[in-house]
Amino acid sequence: MKRILQSVLFVMLLLGGMSACTEELDFNQFDDLEATPTYEAGILYLEAQEDLINLISGTNVFSQNFNFDAFSSDIFADRVLDGTITFVVENTTSKELAITVELLDEADTVTDTEIFSIEPAPTAIIQREIAYGDSGRSIDIIKTLSTIRVTATNLGDNTSVSTLPDPLITLKSSGKFRLRVK
Amino acid sequence: MRIPKILFLTLLWVCTGTLAQNKQLLYDFTEIPQSLLINPGVQTDFKWYAGVPGISGLSFQAGSSGVSAYDLFAADGIDFNTKVRDRLLGGMTTRDELSGTQQIELLNVGFRSNDPNVFYSFGIYNESDAIGYWFQDYAILAIEGNADRLNQRFDLGDLKTRGEMMNVFHFGVNKKMNNKLTVGGRAKIYSSILDFNSTRNKGFFVTRPGQNNLLSSTFNADMKWRTSGINALKAAENEEDIPGTILKRGFFGGNLGLGIDLGLTYQLNKQTVFTASLLDLGFIYHSNDVENYTLKGDVTTEGVEVILPQDVLDPNRDFWQDLVDNIEEIVPFENNFNNYITFRPTKLYASLRYNWGEQALRGADCDCGPYVTSSNRVPKFVNGVGGQLYMINRPRGPQAAITAFYQRRFGNIMAVKATYTADKFTYTNIGFGLNLQAGPVNLYLMADNLLAYRNIADSRYASFQLGLNIISWGKK
Repeated sequence: MKRILQSVLFVMLLLGGMSACTEELDFNQFDDLEATPTYEAGILYLEAQEDLINLISGTNVFSQNFNFDAFSSDIFADRVLDGTITFVVENTTSKELAITVELLDEADTVTDTEIFSIEPAPTAIIQREIAYGDSGRSIDIIKTLSTIRVTATNLGDNTSVSTLPDPLITLKSSGKFRLRVK
Repeated sequence: MRIPKILFLTLLWVCTGTLAQNKQLLYDFTEIPQSLLINPGVQTDFKWYAGVPGISGLSFQAGSSGVSAYDLFAADGIDFNTKVRDRLLGGMTTRDELSGTQQIELLNVGFRSNDPNVFYSFGIYNESDAIGYWFQDYAILAIEGNADRLNQRFDLGDLKTRGEMMNVFHFGVNKKMNNKLTVGGRAKIYSSILDFNSTRNKGFFVTRPGQNNLLSSTFNADMKWRTSGINALKAAENEEDIPGTILKRGFFGGNLGLGIDLGLTYQLNKQTVFTASLLDLGFIYHSNDVENYTLKGDVTTEGVEVILPQDVLDPNRDFWQDLVDNIEEIVPFENNFNNYITFRPTKLYASLRYNWGEQALRGADCDCGPYVTSSNRVPKFVNGVGGQLYMINRPRGPQAAITAFYQRRFGNIMAVKATYTADKFTYTNIGFGLNLQAGPVNLYLMADNLLAYRNIADSRYASFQLGLNIISWGKK
């Protein structure tokens, strides 16, 4: 019996010694969590062949509005902090061209304009990054973006033909934006 | 969007840890009737027993193989964002898991047959089990994004989780075949209250340099999220009748399944015993209140693409909406109500024990009170030492744990078991179990990973079991 009592005492001491304690935790740290991922993706690709340009009399090759609601949707507009849009314009035609990209809000008000005047091939590539947010233009331009208007103007002739294969003018663009998820 | 704290913590819980089901302390603890639930072939000497409803068998286990609450929330002055990046994004892998299991016995009764070598037991218990693996690539996408990660595939298969709640109705037979071999089996009917699982997802998201445009985004998905009982509980929440719905679904009003447990004890010699059991070899067929969600398809987009002049022949064409519609058509997010089958997480136990020391006192020799009769308890060795193996089938494959144990009996009134267990959660898991017998009243308490109790917040694994039974050894 004495051994049993000793054993019980031992177990109680063991359990007592093992009684749980915990160091201080601060769950309010969660409020400090900042989740601001940066996402990137293609936006708009546009191309026009040189023979199309030559077919059009006058300087206005085309002007087209493209609906683009990706940035004005709540899931994006409510969270976007800043970012950049990268444009690459490449001209392999034989004529100088001007590409105007305008960003319009839902009321069709032009909120931003970017003009690319590009020389004929073979040296005609322009890359431009436009920043929006604290270090650039107003991020509201992005948040309210509803339409992208692209206008191409022929600053050259309507007859010359590039010696390069498949001559065309292309506009490439991508966006890289930082969002506040938390 | 502000993610509610509770959601974050839940996701963390679901996605960073694993709830293990190992009951190494209770396994082959033959003084405790609940050991029959872990090995139906255990050596029994009870005449009958009855668990006290609701408290005859309570067990809770939780574990995380990745981080502990202390790792993240310690008041250590380190910026929380740094801890998230270093310890979650940088410190965990998709094999890290968080899981948990709870069992509550509602009814547990056992009695010896007219044939003294046969012992029957039956009962009902409620069980919940959930596991979630760390969804590494989803976390990277959510916290850091895809920018400047060209050609990096984000694996959609990182979402791997399952969970269930059910009542289990069981009936077991334990038979001593001869002096060496005892075998047992237990038939189970599962009455599923709720189930969710998403364990076989495939696919990826990747951003590459575009063919035409600057970037292309490819989304390849074959994902499923299957549920049953969730909608019923949502409706019950609106009607403020969750207990009633749980009760109804837990008593054959939900989805049903069948399963068996098998077990044996083999006396290799007088002092050496081998045991093994296979638990929850079964399935549940989900046909009631099922709703499944799928996302399947393969799409690559470079944004709005316009080739002049053919693409502007229609002046009213909405390129953006066309793009969205096209993606939704190629990779549709759909739901269906198809029946499905889930298999229970099957468990395997095995042990080898060496016994020695003087035989424990028989009931007649102890001061156990009037309910314990004298001649039916099987003499047992005072000491036992050995090793146990535990394996469980999990969504990312079997998990194993090995245990060394020492068991000591003190007359017929107390027995203790100490264990050392190594598994994916910890290599310093020391557990202790205590069984007390006061007359017919049996009480057991067991706790795991005791060293971590010095700072429970830093523990990556914890389990606790207790139970209260009335036991009679009667006369054979």
